[in-house]
Amino acid sequence: MAGVAAPLALHGRRSLAGMTALACVLLLLAVLASLLLGAGDVGPARALAVLLGAGDEEARFVVGSLRLPRTLIGIGVGLALAVSGALLQAVSRNPLAEPGLLGVSAGAAFAVGVALWLGASTATLRVAVGQLGALLGCAAVLSVVRLRGVGSDPVRLVLAGAALSALLASLTALLLLFDQRSADEIRFWVIGSLSGRRLEDLLAVLPSLALALGLTLWLARPLAALALGERVAAGLGHHPGRVRLLVVLAVALLVGAATAIAGPIAFVGLVVPFAARALAGPDIRRTLWLCLPLGPLMVLGADVAARLLVSPAEMPLGVLTALLGAPVLVAVVRARRLPTL
Amino acid sequence: METQRLRGQSVRWQSAAAGQDSQGDSQPPSGYWHLTAGRASLLLERRALAVNLLLLALLLAASAAYLMAGSIPVSASELIRALAGDGEVVTAFVIHDLRLPRLAAAWLTGAAFAVAGCLMQTLARNRLATPGIIGIDNGATAFAVASVVGLGVSLAPPAMALTGAATAAAITFGLASGGDTRGYRFIVAGIGIGAVFGAVTQLLLARVPIDTANAAYPWTVGTLNARSGSAVSVLALGLAVGLPLALALGRSLSLMRFSDAVAAGLGVRLRRRRAQVLSLSVLLTALAVAVAGPVGMVGLIGPEIARSLSSSRGVPLAASALAGALVMVLADLAGRVLLAPIELPVGIVTAIVGGPWLLWILLRPASRRLS
Repeated sequence: MAGVAAPLALHGRRSLAGMTALACVLLLLAVLASLLLGAGDVGPARALAVLLGAGDEEARFVVGSLRLPRTLIGIGVGLALAVSGALLQAVSRNPLAEPGLLGVSAGAAFAVGVALWLGASTATLRVAVGQLGALLGCAAVLSVVRLRGVGSDPVRLVLAGAALSALLASLTALLLLFDQRSADEIRFWVIGSLSGRRLEDLLAVLPSLALALGLTLWLARPLAALALGERVAAGLGHHPGRVRLLVVLAVALLVGAATAIAGPIAFVGLVVPFAARALAGPDIRRTLWLCLPLGPLMVLGADVAARLLVSPAEMPLGVLTALLGAPVLVAVVRARRLPTL
Repeated sequence: METQRLRGQSVRWQSAAAGQDSQGDSQPPSGYWHLTAGRASLLLERRALAVNLLLLALLLAASAAYLMAGSIPVSASELIRALAGDGEVVTAFVIHDLRLPRLAAAWLTGAAFAVAGCLMQTLARNRLATPGIIGIDNGATAFAVASVVGLGVSLAPPAMALTGAATAAAITFGLASGGDTRGYRFIVAGIGIGAVFGAVTQLLLARVPIDTANAAYPWTVGTLNARSGSAVSVLALGLAVGLPLALALGRSLSLMRFSDAVAAGLGVRLRRRRAQVLSLSVLLTALAVAVAGPVGMVGLIGPEIARSLSSSRGVPLAASALAGALVMVLADLAGRVLLAPIELPVGIVTAIVGGPWLLWILLRPASRRLS
């Protein structure tokens, strides 16, 4: 057994490094594109001049104060959503478990909507409230998983999540109708976009992002053991219940943070771990590793496309991720045998 | 489970009928009235009749409340006088020009969504496979929005909605692997397709100036406030043709609930009937979406109510239509009255009511889940 597994693992590790390097190169290109291209009239040439240290006033403002924060926020959001998707899928053993599809994002969005409606507008409070909402959404979904019969059927869980999301989205829309003043503030944000977000928003969520990523780092080994079954994990000295609890916490921190900045964005947590698993194999540690460059890559790529496709205007980021993600969802569902995790 | 029970019932029913025939007695089976006029004859189920009458009475009561309530309250006597053609000018204007057309739109869209839902559920043999859930509403909406925001397409919204609904239905059913529409995978694939079309709608709205986008916004939530008169007329025409056709298909439909082999053995031309049922459902959905936008939950709630009231002998199409109209009228009434100066779009009301219902269906014990 070991004799067969070792060469495979060696081969996998070498290619994993290669794939990570490739993904990082692509990510670097996406960052460049995100800095150079835009919907406004500061073209690539003028933006490049700014990057090289020259450039006129307007271009410097656009690149430094608009595009740079946006790019950094895109990286943070992509990281958070991709990692939370991978974690949620590992802990629920369900390839379709995605924060956007299962209603975790909708829970965070609803909580933030309530907070804004009640008059809170400082970024920090918004983040905390969003994380609380995500925690509640997560708890709801995972308690559904543990109900008899639902956990064994990944597809049914997604359906329940879709119903929950639709319900929460309607309630958020209800909030919009109540109060015109906050309506503009919420509507701006509830669509899911990276435009017009400030760097302070990112700074406000940075601590929780760091905490959640550290937690993830610590959880990777127990999760890999948990993939072999609860008994095996317990036999290897892990505590399945505790691991699950911590994963839920990490997911809530990540999704709450991402939603508080960018609004609810679906499908990133589905597509990126799906691609990472296809590239790196079923080991959760490798999947997580590859999610780190791939998540920001997808979000930044989608964001650049969102700026360019309807050029003078912009379109919401959530639209593009849905266009990319829904076919992946259909493909996963149609597979003759659903891959179990 | 239910299939088993049904099959048992129908066998018992047939054997009872055979027994009666052998005695030369033409008594109808219990629970039915047998109407004859010359050579034509009709077997009328008493319970279905009672259910339909009950729903109709409820619908009329809800409609009266709908006409009376609002920012200008109208008393019952004033309402009767206004309907009879006299009374104050203001009241007559409110009733005839504002509330009656909207009530008519609510009846028509509710009936169309619910019948389309019932047809689709029966066709797919899947209780959750309503057009709203498997993405057909969203397809119709995307195309209708393309027509409203004017992307060089000159077709009217109903025609565009029809194109979109047909496209979405073709994709969803085309993707159903091996024609298997029973399970949850079919539904989730449909949700994916719906998400794509929803994104296309957003994309279209993002491409246009903000005024046009505001005009098209009601399309994305579903409301009776922004309906166009011509679309309502087209829907009325479609319903006038489609509802009798659907009722005429009722006999085949109740057989199509069983397995293909049973249905074919009992003389249903499956391929043709399926095509007819699917196109009827798509037509009704599209025309209703062209009036009210995606209020898909009615297509789930209406048939559910009808089915819970009716016996399980047939497919309750007429009861679905009445229940759908009732749900729509009540939801729009609630949307208009509950938060009085603000008007809630009917799509949001039905989603808030229908979401928990859908969750409840999904999370119930497995034995009572499907069909």
